[in-house]
Amino acid sequence: MSEAVLEIRDVSLAFKGKRSVLDVLSNTPVKNVNALNGVSLDLRQGETLGVVGESGCGKSTLARCIVRLHEPNGGSVHFYGMDVFASHERGDRTYNRRVQMMFQDPYSSLNPRMTTGQILSEALRVHGMCPEDEVPARLANLMDLVQLPGDALEKYPHEFSGGQRQRIAIARALAVEPEVLIADELVSALDVSVQAQIVNLLLDLQDRLGLTILFVAHDLRLVRHMSNRVAVIYLGRIVEIGDSETLFASPSHPYSQALLSAAPSLDPDDKGRKIHLEGELPSPLDIPPGCPFHVRCRHKSPKCTTELPKLRPIAGRGSVACHHAEEIENV
Amino acid sequence: MTLRSVKTPLLEVSGLCTTFGAGDTSVPAVRDVGFTINKGEIIGLVGESGSGKSVTLRSILGLSRRYGGTTGSALWRGENLVTLPESDMRRIRGGEIAMIFQEPMTSLNPLLTVGVQIDETLKAHTDMSAGERKKRAIEMLDVVGIPAAGSRLSEFPHQFSGGMRQRVMIAIALAARPKLLLADEPTTALDVTIQAQILDLILSLAKDFDMGVILVTHDLGVVAQTCEQVAVMYAGRIVEQGSVRSVLREPRHPYTVGLMRSVPQNVPPRTPLYSIPGTPPSLLSLPDGCAFAARCPQKTVGCETGRPELETLNGGRSVACFNRVEAKGGAAA
Repeated sequence: MSEAVLEIRDVSLAFKGKRSVLDVLSNTPVKNVNALNGVSLDLRQGETLGVVGESGCGKSTLARCIVRLHEPNGGSVHFYGMDVFASHERGDRTYNRRVQMMFQDPYSSLNPRMTTGQILSEALRVHGMCPEDEVPARLANLMDLVQLPGDALEKYPHEFSGGQRQRIAIARALAVEPEVLIADELVSALDVSVQAQIVNLLLDLQDRLGLTILFVAHDLRLVRHMSNRVAVIYLGRIVEIGDSETLFASPSHPYSQALLSAAPSLDPDDKGRKIHLEGELPSPLDIPPGCPFHVRCRHKSPKCTTELPKLRPIAGRGSVACHHAEEIENV
Repeated sequence: MTLRSVKTPLLEVSGLCTTFGAGDTSVPAVRDVGFTINKGEIIGLVGESGSGKSVTLRSILGLSRRYGGTTGSALWRGENLVTLPESDMRRIRGGEIAMIFQEPMTSLNPLLTVGVQIDETLKAHTDMSAGERKKRAIEMLDVVGIPAAGSRLSEFPHQFSGGMRQRVMIAIALAARPKLLLADEPTTALDVTIQAQILDLILSLAKDFDMGVILVTHDLGVVAQTCEQVAVMYAGRIVEQGSVRSVLREPRHPYTVGLMRSVPQNVPPRTPLYSIPGTPPSLLSLPDGCAFAARCPQKTVGCETGRPELETLNGGRSVACFNRVEAKGGAAA
């Protein structure tokens, strides 16, 4: 097993709810949005870890916590043993350089008034990546890396298509020679054929530059294709984590089973074995007691309504947070 | 499906063209689109962004009239919707033909309660009394699976979650019992688990009300699981059409083949995916020949000069290509 680059331990984050004047007068307690409720995982050197879950489950919040866009209320994130939220590390910009984030929306994550060249050279200058006279060569090299034509440097973001913008976003992240890429729904806004191009680019870059990638996405087929390991998140907790192929071929947690079976197959005759989830994701304002999934679960027992299952390793599979992981049949 | 006993055509679209713009720039968004939809049938329209899927739907309902010109015909009960005056169109729109849009948050009025918005449709298209309308509104919310329907009528759209809002949209669309539903990417903004619920809902409603559905999507999986017929669009034209089973199993147009292969299914993990080289042509400067020629692996000299027409093969398949991909001879993939 290779070394852990990022060790995330028990990270939790609650966003403070807003209180209106009426709430204060009537003394209603503040409601917090519990986005993350104790997430622990290791990101290992050179791997791609996929993170899947429904919207609102906390997968983007986790990604943002890792790059210090949010500060967790509890838990810790260690990067090569260094606590990234420790007070004396806060001013340290090398972490920001070594762990880079790429965002979902290629239209709002690039400054519309800067050319591609300006966007990329800004990143180079902020981190003092190379002497001023070497910047043009480095830019040309980056354009080459993400397979964009050289004249793209003179253009503004609006002149590019969605796929090309994501290439610019990737180039911006790569400009500062990071070791870890956090890709938050990087290809979700793109058409399938363009998606394939970006996925190929990422796989190729990872191979050449030895990058470690956290790949957050809701497209399960893509995550399966990209990842070495996969974590399934439900209401701010990891319910299952393990080797990608094992998890996709035989998910163990009832939620993973339902989530994976909901992805529509390309085969018109493959309509069977769908597990229907009733209802929707409960609000993170008001997470059910016990196992948070019990309100939608087919296998719930009285124990599930009171006791929170811990993430524990299951023989021959990954780690699963379910009281009945052994009894539940694989599908 | 040839086993179906009787097929009654509901809507016959032929030669539908929509052009946007005025003066020197004209954008041919939809060109020569034609298909027939029968009662209770679900047709899928797939293609990449900008291929003209949504404009096709909007042209049928006359929603693109304000921005561009539509020609051709869309025959609905003996009337051509394309040339029908706006006043007659308003009678059909929302009544006999309903539409649901991709973004439930921007398509619902945030200042009106859900009940008022359902009532609006019923008031315009039925002669029901206020009491009957309220009963129907509750019934519709119930049909689309919104719990405690009676009490939620007085709630506003922001009080519903994304999936619930899409259900409200469907409830509004179906309130006047339309015979045809135009669904423009109804599940694209939703999670897979909710998507499965909404698609099942559309399927069962189509069956129960014998309603035709045109489903626009870019997800081939959604098409495989819900539709019977599918039309693949590229640069404003239909390039391949046929039953879902035959098109997805044995695509004959190189573009459809490329689309199918770009989806990471049944490929070894972490290997390069197939991707169609290049990008779709700009609609402002479409080539004279086949619009796909520049990206096509099977291109020959003729492709750049002449444009292939949609040609009907046996088995109800139509393909617009000079160099069709050979059928695999029955063996399932």
